[in-house]
Amino acid sequence: MEYLASDKIAIVDLGTRNITEDELDEDLVLDKIGGAGITKHLYDQYAVENPIVLGTGLLTGTLVPGASLGVITAKSPSTGRISHVPLNLDAGMELKYSGFDYIVIKGTADKPVYLWIHDGILDINDADDLWGKDTWAATDHIRSEMGDDLIQVLGIGQAGENGSDLAQIGINYWQSADRMGFGKLFGEKNLKLMAIRGMGLLEISEPEDFMDDCAELIATIRKNPTTQKQGIAAAAAALGEEDLGDFLDPLTHRHMACFNTPVATNTFIFTEEDPALLKESAVPEPGFLLTDIFPLIVLKKAGLSAKDAGILLKACAKYGIDGAAVAELSAKSGLTDPAEIEKSFPDLKGPVESTGGSVFSPWAAVGKEINENWERRQAVAYILGLHPIWLQIATELTEEKLLDLAGLGTEMEFTPDTLDEVIGDILA
Amino acid sequence: MGIQIDALKCTACMACELACGYHRDDAFALLSSCIVPYRGREKKNYVGVILKEEDSLVAARPEGIEINRIGEEQDPDKEADASAKPMLLRESCDLCDDVDDGPLCITFCPTGAISMA
Amino acid sequence: MESRSQETEFRIPKIGIYTGKGASHSWLWFVEIFERLGFYDLSFLTEVDLVCGGLENMDVLAVSGGDTFAIAEALGPQGANRLKAFITRGGLYLGSCAGAYLPLNSSKEHLNHFNFVPAKITNLTKTLPQNHGLKEKFCTCYGCSYIFHAVREAVEVTTSGMPPFGVSTTFTAPLYGGPPMTVTNPASVLATYTDFTHKTLFLVDRKLAEKTLLGNAAVIREKMGLGHLHLFGPHFEHPHFSEANLFLTNAMMHDLPYKTIPAENPEDGMAILAGSEKKGFIRDFKRELSNSRIVAAGLEMIPLKWTIGSKVYETGKIRVFLEALWQRIRSFERDGSILVRAGEDDRLVQTALHVTENIRQIKKGWDQKTDTLETATALFGLLNKTSALFLGIYFRSKLFHSVLENRI
Repeated sequence: MEYLASDKIAIVDLGTRNITEDELDEDLVLDKIGGAGITKHLYDQYAVENPIVLGTGLLTGTLVPGASLGVITAKSPSTGRISHVPLNLDAGMELKYSGFDYIVIKGTADKPVYLWIHDGILDINDADDLWGKDTWAATDHIRSEMGDDLIQVLGIGQAGENGSDLAQIGINYWQSADRMGFGKLFGEKNLKLMAIRGMGLLEISEPEDFMDDCAELIATIRKNPTTQKQGIAAAAAALGEEDLGDFLDPLTHRHMACFNTPVATNTFIFTEEDPALLKESAVPEPGFLLTDIFPLIVLKKAGLSAKDAGILLKACAKYGIDGAAVAELSAKSGLTDPAEIEKSFPDLKGPVESTGGSVFSPWAAVGKEINENWERRQAVAYILGLHPIWLQIATELTEEKLLDLAGLGTEMEFTPDTLDEVIGDILA
Repeated sequence: MGIQIDALKCTACMACELACGYHRDDAFALLSSCIVPYRGREKKNYVGVILKEEDSLVAARPEGIEINRIGEEQDPDKEADASAKPMLLRESCDLCDDVDDGPLCITFCPTGAISMA
Repeated sequence: MESRSQETEFRIPKIGIYTGKGASHSWLWFVEIFERLGFYDLSFLTEVDLVCGGLENMDVLAVSGGDTFAIAEALGPQGANRLKAFITRGGLYLGSCAGAYLPLNSSKEHLNHFNFVPAKITNLTKTLPQNHGLKEKFCTCYGCSYIFHAVREAVEVTTSGMPPFGVSTTFTAPLYGGPPMTVTNPASVLATYTDFTHKTLFLVDRKLAEKTLLGNAAVIREKMGLGHLHLFGPHFEHPHFSEANLFLTNAMMHDLPYKTIPAENPEDGMAILAGSEKKGFIRDFKRELSNSRIVAAGLEMIPLKWTIGSKVYETGKIRVFLEALWQRIRSFERDGSILVRAGEDDRLVQTALHVTENIRQIKKGWDQKTDTLETATALFGLLNKTSALFLGIYFRSKLFHSVLENRI
């Protein structure tokens, strides 16, 4: 696969520590396009070994607005379904540039390990130093040991290590969109984390046309007033949820976007520092990056202040437990003190409604009913590698346009029929 | 005429870095860009933008712009010292002089954080 | 051996490149030129190699930038004798920047073993002029005097047009501390400094810079016995200056020994790695190269610098080494078998591992605000060593494949 790819699939057996590499067959891409289309295919191929499959969309890492997405596909311990979770922030991009298009993880390590994925090299390293650490300490440790602050870390905290159904794979220090309990799968495999960093390069089949189209898209998008508002509160409002602006504004420091995503769907609040401070804070942990709308709404309704909500969600992120599940369960129990809720983490159990009823994480479903239209739009996002919340907002990114761009980028032809088939496979 | 950066509008999406990388390498890559959102203080949410110009290194910090002439001695108390020639291997900004619509970082920045002075 | 003066059978010259003590990173630029020319018979020589007879079979020795005093001290009188013997029997010496200073007459300790060229430098002074920037790159002590550097970056040079070096042309080349020279024999001057460019950085008052440089020799050619020395003040080998590269190449081609040393079979005495053995070796090396490169990419944003000997090193220079190796890994992976000396593959991987360890140590040192000079000193030595080891294997293998193709 010459364009928009590294042309590499890695099959990692944690039990034998054996790693094999395959080329990314162009026929596979023609057939399944990319992202969840191919991760699902690979999952089915290795299904008996209960694999976790990581991948990126066909357009991930390009200048198509919102092309930030990575995907994790696995059997959810919470729902029992083959499910797909988006990797947002900079994790999807980093995976794309890491030298691997897809990674299949199977087997169970005999002792804690982590994967170091860099420039087409995949190493299985011992994680004795890491096991037991919360996600923040683990991320700090890896970045310090490897010598780079931009390494993206997909990891679990104690929740995953202890086999909680609510365990989440976090992204660096933050909550991810994992509502499916994939953190438990990592823990079961003795896989503490995956550290990813890449200096790759993606060739484009028709670069000028591709870039012209991207430039045209972004120019159009900039004229859309919905896309000019930034932050998690604005994203919530754009999705039809209540406005969290008043709730969060007093603590808001800055809004942060996922890779190449025009609307910043994340907001950093300062809970231990003056949010108006512009120079670098002397406080080592001044606040938290809010990345998930649902728990904020639930916690607000439960009567927590924005500060307490931030403190609680930070504790969730560190422990590696799904903040949405915690919010839901603590709202049911009536607990509102973050410290008390945190104490209850080890005992929290599902089922929770926040896993949603779809194969896709409901992280992008806030305010919208999970119906066929929503699922189709999610499928397109996960196949082509677009930010799933962004794709709900950016109606300019039609399926036709995206398939055109896929063709321009890869010199391959992708038809609406193929897309329908792939979506059908994923939703089956 | 040159690039102007409003760091407070920046959301660290890296579109500028990727666009500049494309300008250098005719492919999508990030190692050659002369404009780079600084992401190294993730826990503190301290984000700025660094731009390598021909004669200077621009650090667009949230608290203000800092311009260091490359090659000149700097205040030893200040952290950024352009005489140490950061980004040695990267070409300096040429304002995408061969691109009809001008600098690609401006074209692709979704928030208008980058503009032409 | 006589230098080329008529059409003759041409063999690929055996070229030695100095990579030992005192060499900085710019020797990699020579590598690039030679690779472009298809001159794959390259040897990477440390001071020990040179002293122990490494020049015996060479046609050309290239010494690029770095710390002239360190190079001279490392080579010592034995190295100087070897070098003299090499040139007088017909070898070609290419000296750029520090490599240009080395053979100029001098009374200073260590340098005084290398009095091969009776040219003077015009940037020697007893009283330092006022410095206008880049203090740490402005001057070097020279006994009771100083060598000062009037400008840096691209300067304009004009070739003399002396036959057989074609007509007089003007182009630019980068100056990073190399000498402006005067000679008694004008026929020795191949190029002079003629102007500055908009990119020229002035470290002294412009008038003084003009006086020091303009009209003085940027490139000189001297005969010694049957051989020649080409001394370049600016880095004519810098990859971004194609006209300068072309001039250097043409001059070199003219003064190559008439009968080059017959090429040995590159595979003699070598182990051939192929298949899974080759794959495993490259993977192990690539792993460490990637590890180092990742840290280096982050370090290049950090304004850290070290003075090692009399030379200033910045973090960006770490990437210069690593990128030079990284860009060659791909073809290394694709090409057929590779040739290694016994244990060379393991040595390369181990050295690369040490590079990773040191570079990570520097990052930690920066984060913890501790001194990193010792680590940096070790690191740059290791980078030279790793690069020389890898490129030795790389070019030996390339030569092997090109020889094989010719045999078929």
